[in-house]
Amino acid sequence: MIKLTRRGTIGLGLGAFFALASASTALAADTIKIGYPANLTGIQASLDGPMLNGAKLAASEINAAGGVLGQQIELVIYDSKSDSTTISTVASQLIDSDKVVGIIGFADSDSVLAIGPQVQKAQIPFITPGATSPKLPSQLGNEIFLAAFGDNVQAAVGAEFALNKLNGKTAYLLTDIGTEYTTLLSDYFVTAYEHGGGKILERDTYKIGDKTFTAQIAKLKALSPQPDFVYASSNAEEIGLILKQMRQAGINLPVVGGDGYDTPLLIQVGGDAAKDTYFTTHAYIGEGATPKVQAFIDAYTKSAGNAPENAFAALGYDSVKLMADAIKRAGAPDPAKIRDALAATSGLDGVTGTITYRPGISVPDKSVSVIGVKDGKLVLASEAAPTFVAEP
Amino acid sequence: MTQLDYILQQIVNAVSLGSLYALVAVGLSIVFGVLKLTNFAHGDVMMVGAFGVALLVGIGVPFPVAVICGIAAAAVAGFLIERIAYRPIRDAPDVARLLTSLAVTYIIENVGILVFTSSPRNFPLPDILNTSWEMSNGAITFTSINLLTIALTFVSLLLLGWFITRTTTGLGMRAAAEDMSAAHLVGLNVNRLIIVAFIVASAYAGLAGILWAAQAGVVQPQMGFTPLLKAFVAAIIGGFGSIAGALVGGYILGALEIFIVAFLPSSVSSYRDAIVFAVLIAFLLVRPGGLLQPNREIKL
Repeated sequence: MIKLTRRGTIGLGLGAFFALASASTALAADTIKIGYPANLTGIQASLDGPMLNGAKLAASEINAAGGVLGQQIELVIYDSKSDSTTISTVASQLIDSDKVVGIIGFADSDSVLAIGPQVQKAQIPFITPGATSPKLPSQLGNEIFLAAFGDNVQAAVGAEFALNKLNGKTAYLLTDIGTEYTTLLSDYFVTAYEHGGGKILERDTYKIGDKTFTAQIAKLKALSPQPDFVYASSNAEEIGLILKQMRQAGINLPVVGGDGYDTPLLIQVGGDAAKDTYFTTHAYIGEGATPKVQAFIDAYTKSAGNAPENAFAALGYDSVKLMADAIKRAGAPDPAKIRDALAATSGLDGVTGTITYRPGISVPDKSVSVIGVKDGKLVLASEAAPTFVAEP
Repeated sequence: MTQLDYILQQIVNAVSLGSLYALVAVGLSIVFGVLKLTNFAHGDVMMVGAFGVALLVGIGVPFPVAVICGIAAAAVAGFLIERIAYRPIRDAPDVARLLTSLAVTYIIENVGILVFTSSPRNFPLPDILNTSWEMSNGAITFTSINLLTIALTFVSLLLLGWFITRTTTGLGMRAAAEDMSAAHLVGLNVNRLIIVAFIVASAYAGLAGILWAAQAGVVQPQMGFTPLLKAFVAAIIGGFGSIAGALVGGYILGALEIFIVAFLPSSVSSYRDAIVFAVLIAFLLVRPGGLLQPNREIKL
């Protein structure tokens, strides 16, 4: 609790500073304004940073092609510091002062939970490129849309990959109980894995921010018989460290997890220890990608100065395209009409797959990529839609 | 793996974690002992040490040299903090001093964020420190950095013990800690003693920060907060202001955190932090002065 309050206060001051800095740029006339709060600093930075670059790329492509409804679109960007208090300040700024017609943002469910009540109350359509809790729309309301698959889907693909490809009949489950994303992902994994006939031998927990996992690892090592693999429901900052400490303790089991792994930190911090690690994510962005993804990689590299860091870059890109498509079909930059148009999205062809919302469901059905680490590089291990998915 | 191996492994884990907590807590206690000030900036001085090493190694400085420079940078940071922020308000009420110490934390951390951004960056560790060692046919493992942490904690605390019991400056520091105005009356240069206390405590913080980052694998401007909180708890368990108390408190906290996970079922161990703080509250109810100061009440 102390941590949150303290971070909150720091964020508040800096948030206000950035709010002032970018408010002056938001005054350009005749643009359709889309709010874009991004956790450019703090714990979510390695996901939100690339995502924003992808979003900017999409916006400039749309504008170069003439914009939507004859107007240019403009992303109104604020740094929300991975902090719930700042997110809420930034949301008021976007809604009350900038008068945006829609908002796009965040790679994690906790940040979406922080902004959700405000966008819902103001009735502004909101797309989250990277948050994956399938519960978000039912928790927050009908203005909330996911551009990514739900955690129940990726957990199910992870479970089926472990069962079928790794022949993992028994598992050790390690869960970060400090965030909504990892807690839910872990629960969905258990449901899908046990449904598929897998058996969980032992469960352990830790909390985001922990640096020592030796006690849990020793417990895993003492298991007899040893499990076939480890499912670690972890965020980006811890997974590298968990792998390192696990390998140092002499445990060479395969490790499986979710899209929280998908940042450069996995290999930077994990190093050699990241071998035999697999994670489910939104798209495979690397050597031998599909032509559509390759075109995105080239455009991103040109605009951002480096290759896409992870699949979140593509999600940011797809989300802006998704919003622009809805504005076009709405026929006017009116939040209520845009929301209805968004809900009717069908067959939108994105870098991370096709986005269609079934009636009343704001989570798209998309396929999931499984990426593995081989010789310090990411390789596509499998791409699949699950056969069984846990209820949200 | 036998039951005995498992217990030994968890003891190794606890001692390694406890050493780190003890090292941070001792630095916190040195300053509190002399100034009766909770130095929240202690965690940020740790950050200065760790960042110093990361940046220097990044430009090609050999690791051991970078470590010495990092510790020196932390000592200088501590000196400056005392001179600029704490000395002018030394006689101010406790609340004002506490708030100043918080303000220093905010300033250092936010300057860090503005200069380096708050994204974590890799902490470069030579391979030799990443090597793991094993005993009992691989049932018990530990890394060089674990061993080094334990050894450095041990050696540096022996040095500190020698310093405060055998040297004139050290004795003076203890006198000032006992009663600052009396120390002044008998002719001790109190300003000098306080500066020495800050430099020593900050050098410890620098060392602790480097070891912390070495275990964590990353550095970032906000990295000092968690260790500070842990050290605070350790120091309170042991008896705030008592160096031996901080040491004992650090090991108790490390052991609690490891053993709760190691020996309780996971449905219970997910309440680890709640259990640790419940123990802390229970402790303060029974021994308000902490383990080694049973009769003195803690005033922060």
